[in-house]
Amino acid sequence: MDSDLAYSAIRIATPLIYAALGGLLTYQAGILNIALDGFMIVAAFAAIAVAYATESLMLGVMAGIASAMVLAALLAVFSLRLRANIFIAGIAVTFLAYGLTALLLKGVLGQEGVFSSDRIPTFAPLRIPVIADLPIVGPSLSGHTALVYLAYLLVPVVAFSLYRTRWGLRVRVVGEAQDAASAAGINIFAIKFETMLLSGLFCGLAGAYLSLGYVSLFAKQMTNERGLIALAAIFFANGNPYWTAAVALLFGAATALSVRLPQVTGLAPQLLQLIPYVVTLLALVAVGVRKTRARNRHGAWRFEL
Amino acid sequence: MSTEALAARRRRASTLMDGLIRPVLGPILAVLIAMAVGAILLAAVGENPIHVYATLAEGGLVGWPNLSVSLQLTTPLIFTGLAVALSFRAGLWNIGAEGQMLMGALAAGILGYAVSLPAALHIPLCVAAAFLGGALWAAVPALLRVCLSVNELVVCLMMNPIALLLTGYVSARVLKAPGPTNKLPDILDSAILPNFSLFSQLNAGIFIALLACGVITLVNSATVRGFEWKILGVNPRFAHYAGINVGRNALAVFMVSGGIAGLAGAEQVLGVYKAYYDNFSPGYGFDGIAVAMLAKNNPTGVLFAAFLLGAMNAGSAVLQMTMGVSKYLVQVLQFIIVLVLAAQFSFSWLRAGARRRAASPQGEA
Amino acid sequence: MDAGGDVIVMNQITKRFDDVVAVHDASLTVRAGEIHALVGENGAGKTTLMNILYGLLPRDSGDIRLRGEPVNFVGPAQAIAAGIGMVHQHFKLAPSFTVAENIILGAEPRKSLDRIDRAKAERDTAELGRRFGLEVDPRASVSALPVGLRQRVEILKALYRDAGIMILDEPTAVLTPQETRELFATMRRLAEHGRSIIFITHKLREVLAVSDRISVMRHGRILSTEPNQGVTAHHLASLMVGRSVLLRVHKTKARPTEDKLLSVESLTAIGDRDETAVADVSFFVRGAEIVGLAGVQGNGQDELVQCIAGMRRPVSGRIGICGAVSEHANPRSRRASGLAYIPADREHVGLSLSSQVWENLTVGRLPEFSRGVALMANAARRRADELIRQFDIRGARESTPAASLSGGNQQKVQLARELTRQVRVVIAEQPSRGVDIGAIEAIHRVLVEMRESGCAVFVVSADIDEIFALSDRILVMYRGRIVADLIADETDVEAVGRLMGGLHEQAEAAVEFESAARTGHVH
Repeated sequence: MDSDLAYSAIRIATPLIYAALGGLLTYQAGILNIALDGFMIVAAFAAIAVAYATESLMLGVMAGIASAMVLAALLAVFSLRLRANIFIAGIAVTFLAYGLTALLLKGVLGQEGVFSSDRIPTFAPLRIPVIADLPIVGPSLSGHTALVYLAYLLVPVVAFSLYRTRWGLRVRVVGEAQDAASAAGINIFAIKFETMLLSGLFCGLAGAYLSLGYVSLFAKQMTNERGLIALAAIFFANGNPYWTAAVALLFGAATALSVRLPQVTGLAPQLLQLIPYVVTLLALVAVGVRKTRARNRHGAWRFEL
Repeated sequence: MSTEALAARRRRASTLMDGLIRPVLGPILAVLIAMAVGAILLAAVGENPIHVYATLAEGGLVGWPNLSVSLQLTTPLIFTGLAVALSFRAGLWNIGAEGQMLMGALAAGILGYAVSLPAALHIPLCVAAAFLGGALWAAVPALLRVCLSVNELVVCLMMNPIALLLTGYVSARVLKAPGPTNKLPDILDSAILPNFSLFSQLNAGIFIALLACGVITLVNSATVRGFEWKILGVNPRFAHYAGINVGRNALAVFMVSGGIAGLAGAEQVLGVYKAYYDNFSPGYGFDGIAVAMLAKNNPTGVLFAAFLLGAMNAGSAVLQMTMGVSKYLVQVLQFIIVLVLAAQFSFSWLRAGARRRAASPQGEA
Repeated sequence: MDAGGDVIVMNQITKRFDDVVAVHDASLTVRAGEIHALVGENGAGKTTLMNILYGLLPRDSGDIRLRGEPVNFVGPAQAIAAGIGMVHQHFKLAPSFTVAENIILGAEPRKSLDRIDRAKAERDTAELGRRFGLEVDPRASVSALPVGLRQRVEILKALYRDAGIMILDEPTAVLTPQETRELFATMRRLAEHGRSIIFITHKLREVLAVSDRISVMRHGRILSTEPNQGVTAHHLASLMVGRSVLLRVHKTKARPTEDKLLSVESLTAIGDRDETAVADVSFFVRGAEIVGLAGVQGNGQDELVQCIAGMRRPVSGRIGICGAVSEHANPRSRRASGLAYIPADREHVGLSLSSQVWENLTVGRLPEFSRGVALMANAARRRADELIRQFDIRGARESTPAASLSGGNQQKVQLARELTRQVRVVIAEQPSRGVDIGAIEAIHRVLVEMRESGCAVFVVSADIDEIFALSDRILVMYRGRIVADLIADETDVEAVGRLMGGLHEQAEAAVEFESAARTGHVH
């Protein structure tokens, strides 16, 4: 039961990890990107539609990535170039994506609520030779599909890019002191645009995993606010890739638990589905307490976030 | 004509330009762009855009039956649009109108059948309970923002699904009425808001909405609180410096905003459905954001914007029935409008006029 | 290009912001190896002109030639590539990053895979510091550095990019007199190495001390360019304002009353960087006197004033306004006790630039215009018009947005709002910053009038001349403490300047701290 739980937690956390990696790059650049759900849902749709049409997983995943990046570019243009408020534009893009995918679900795939088919290829579980035989942790760590392993492998890649490369330094300075970056001759717009596109790329992987790897179907608004939960993880971990991944994994474990609890207790499913959202709220409260304690030391009045 | 008369006429013309025409240019442009993109989408799924838009317009506006449906769908949008506009004007992001509306609806739905009173008391009681329900639900993001500096936008977005799940739990388990649907028992006759159309559920709630709009207009322009909330929205630090209690005012405006969203729930339960049904909202709370943006946070503008969106929604139901086009087309159009409105184009040719008219300030750069 | 030849030629540059002409047909030439001072009063257009040269702003007309070649910079990146470096008045540094990271930003040394070569970065910046006598620890975090060292980092940033032309924008605003002398020595060293330096300032004393040539700017035009020899401050000043300057406001002899309208006892407060900003400060201001708080910016004056105004909670101590003593308070209760606070930050604290003038004049005195819950907006607007007339606020009607007023007129709006209430204590923070000379005189006169009517006036200013023009008593603040309490008539600018720089009884300890802080190796 325990290793089963751990296996589920790793699986469930995967889309959160992808979304959080994308979100934290924009966070480090000083952008509050709340459209992660929108990116994910278009990717989920595009991935399953293309995979269905071509019967190729690879093409499906690539279609997912491409569509999410297009949406990310749209948000980037509107908020960075046309100076739209990032919150409003983010909400608009998200609901636009929800409506668009629902529209196309009917228009292109001819379905009302859920789309699924036997023709859609599925990912094969991978058995990792040495790890699978490890006592206790073996069954949890081995046997996942490719996209799951990719997510966790990308965490150190993102950390490396952010903290060791020139590009990462520029991103972080833009996030902290945009004036300093601009006076040093850095192209602020380019940096922000790049992080936004990358968040689209990562959310594209998240969405493709959702509809092709996690389950093999598409349903309206199937992201279930995962983008916001990922955002809470980013806030909690202050944008650090390793800590963010850890928190995302924790959220995944909480959700895995909530799925099993109806079998153990007799609680109604609605109450248990509350768990991820409530846990996210508690994480936000913890972040708030931390921030307020720091501010109270100085005693200066502040209302800005 | 004398120079004074000429100058007076020019001033009147410029106020007309500033007061009436310029504010609507943005929204009109946004609607046009949305329609253009929608046309492309329609063509992509094999529909004739012109036919679709014509059906949409007719389904929303032509004939009293269609019009009464439009007005019915406008009513909740007036409430949620007012709620969002009020909070945006004060610089706070109340994106939680959907959840606040559900809580208000639940409160009205419970008191509607659980208490027995003459209509003159029952209806106000349920409406007040709905206001309170919405206000209390809004107090959560408000308190977290004021006391702990948590981003209220993300909290609101969490509170929405939580509200849906909690009300779902209540209507499917705790207070479920016998029968196949997840709903609370029907409300008593004394709590019903009277309908006045045979063709739709248009009810007296619309008068409550108009009253709310009038009250908010008055609050914004003629009360001290309204002035303080405006300053809060412009610059909280400046407001604090000037002696305005920022925390208390932020909490107050957020809770009033939540309360108004709760009233939308009351109207739906007491006037349209006559009971609390699980998941009754097609997203009025989120549409409220589009309404507020179209109206530029102006309460009178909310009336027009709510009608525009309400008519679109009514037309889209007709569209779905007659042409089979998904109702999500309208959602796509609406949020393209929001996106375009959010962008700040520099209409330099508009500003050239303003430049000529403004008095030249005393020198220094 | 021969030594002493023209490196930069700016020819008839014009720049407009909406209706306002910030720079008008300005022509400036800079030679190799010279220190060229660009002087003018606040708002004359000096920073705007230099921002155009550095590529931060586009110009409307005119041309710029660099070493004979015409150039058109679209952004700082191009200016930097061409060898122009700018040290900004408000430092452009990233606080939580190290000195080395701030310096190399934009031209980072790299290894494979786009990795930053940290070791090389630290070596290079240390070497650079040694070469120019501007040593700072490359590994230190910028947020931990005092202001003087931060400015060194700013200068090193420009030198790292091999700037042959350096623009220094009001560099001495945040320096003690000792640090200023060191800066001038650095500037001379750089000039001797063949670099050109454009030095923007409004302080005439400094200009005469260090420059080779001086260009005077007024109302966006360059009026003259002359060599340093033979020029007097008086001549420059009259060029700057068009008439002889009268910085002393006429005031009668001080006759303070007995009551301490503003009293501060043992006040201690923490600043935003967790440093002790205010350390056990005690002083008082009596009725009918003006007390000036002198000190270089960044020594705790901001935090002290915030505590008095109720915008920051002190760690300990008591503040009394007209006898009402309280430990904690907020702006509302302080205002009710009779305090008028005129903040230095007009843009973000004292005014709402996007609001109309009548709204700015009504905020903070809403009870006068309210009946129950209703707001008497028309009465407020009428009163606003009256105040505009009474305080001679130019270019405004009650419905004008505050952003379209000049700095001096915005200051007048603040004064009109605050000083026409029932107040007994006035705190004026940097009253003449960003204000033209004509308005400064009017503002100083108003402050003296408040003193004549029996108010306690507390002026906080980094401008020593302003302190001496206004004050009956002078307090000097250094590193969070009041280090002197003097009668204005019994002291002079040099003495106060020394105190501002920390040269007082505790000289030994201060010197030791200074030399440790000089290289950033603070224990």
